[in-house]
Amino acid sequence: MFRKLYLLFGFLTLSTAAFGQYRGWSLDSVNQLKNVPKSVRDNPGSYRSVYSGYHHYTGGK
Amino acid sequence: MGAGTPPLPGPPKPQVKALNCPKCGAAITLRCFGQAETVVCGSCRCILDAKDPHLAILQQFERQTSDTTSLIPLGTRGKLRGTDYEVIGFQRRHITVEGVTYSWHEYLLFNPYKGFRYLSEYNGHWNDISICKQLPMVQSAFSTAAGSSANYLGEDYKHFQTSDANTDFVLGEFPWQVRVGEHAVITDYVHPPRVLSSEKLDKEVTWSIGEYLYGREIWETFRLPGSPPEAVGVYENQPSPVTINVTSIWLAFAAFAVFLLVLMVGFDLRAKKEPVLHETYQYDRAEAKSETSFVTDVFELTGRTSNVQVKTHAPVDNHWIYLNYALINQDTGEAWDFGREVSYYHGYDSDGSWSEGKQNDSVVIPSVPPGHYYLRIEPEADSSLPSIPYAVDVIHDVPVFGIYGIAFLVLLVPPLLISWRAFAFERSRWSESDHPPLQLSGMTSSSEDDS
Repeated sequence: MFRKLYLLFGFLTLSTAAFGQYRGWSLDSVNQLKNVPKSVRDNPGSYRSVYSGYHHYTGGK
Repeated sequence: MGAGTPPLPGPPKPQVKALNCPKCGAAITLRCFGQAETVVCGSCRCILDAKDPHLAILQQFERQTSDTTSLIPLGTRGKLRGTDYEVIGFQRRHITVEGVTYSWHEYLLFNPYKGFRYLSEYNGHWNDISICKQLPMVQSAFSTAAGSSANYLGEDYKHFQTSDANTDFVLGEFPWQVRVGEHAVITDYVHPPRVLSSEKLDKEVTWSIGEYLYGREIWETFRLPGSPPEAVGVYENQPSPVTINVTSIWLAFAAFAVFLLVLMVGFDLRAKKEPVLHETYQYDRAEAKSETSFVTDVFELTGRTSNVQVKTHAPVDNHWIYLNYALINQDTGEAWDFGREVSYYHGYDSDGSWSEGKQNDSVVIPSVPPGHYYLRIEPEADSSLPSIPYAVDVIHDVPVFGIYGIAFLVLLVPPLLISWRAFAFERSRWSESDHPPLQLSGMTSSSEDDS
């Protein structure tokens, strides 16, 4: 019984991996936005990234 | 036959003779006809000679040992493995290991046609035991050494324990000259759910084969009231709760891993990996005082929905550059916003040389539909950095190997859990043996058949 369940589980895992690869899934995190104004193309400064003001690393070890 | 004719004398009717204990006078019941060698008085605990018409007293044992109660009362009948048996005898035995005394109970069952068999009970673990039909083969010169085994009816049994057992309480009938204080050397070999035991009493060796039973099976067999005592710990021949063949699960895992590899190679070959933008820019601090953001040329993503990789390269050296990116669909206004830092630091200290970060960065934007896109880029950089070039590459439809890594780990979880459970159970089993886990080798696999 468990072996059958595992076979099903494995099949689903492989299917998910294949589907994810086909659909272009990614492990990186990005912020998706809707309806960015078309004026950005003409005036890039009219748009501000949510990542602006990020505190940057300024040193080494 | 005419009236008044005296009846012919027939054969004498059998007479029932009451048996009483010669010591206390209590009634003695013999259940196994003439096969009992000894019978124990239920009242005064005298061991009597069942072969003697006068029930000669063979042994009296101390009253304080009589506080043992039989979980299955003598005289109880039940159908075990399709045959009716009656419980006719009960004894308590014990072994002492490293100063600790372990006691177990044995029940003698009798059927007039099938003979005797036994039930043993230890801490809620039960065994159905019968005498071996043929002599097992012990396959080691040192039959008690780790790894030694015995073979019975083509099945190998691993040595588990050899111990000196003493009988300290008896009740009912026995087909041998039972005595309290009787001493025997017992050697157990296991192949769950069976146990093969040799019992050496003086120069006589008796081999028996036992099969593990659960308490509820005993309770159902003898229709006992209440519920059986809870089994404590893991018994020597208790079947593993991992009823599947662990090897078969690992084989399935190996097959899945191969399929995963095939998927990975297939998708890698199939991925377009299409470069749609390659530009080099210069960040200049002098110009950074004004608006630094700008947009790239429009590029087209064709085909199905897929991912987009944005790669950044900057020759930073003990500096950083940070890029606020937005991938914007010119047609729909949909955007993917993300920030990437490229930093590389290195140096030398008392621990030696060190480095941190790198001059390249990559990010994969998931599930981007086809369309016309451009990037909005807003760079920031280390204040001590006057000017630095950086290159931006956009590649459409790339393989993400991390997905395979996650799938591999997900597939790995069930075999690991099953193996760990089987290992922990076997470890617990063998910790009670003469060969505790530190000496354990090749004993951890589940030997039970696949369900």
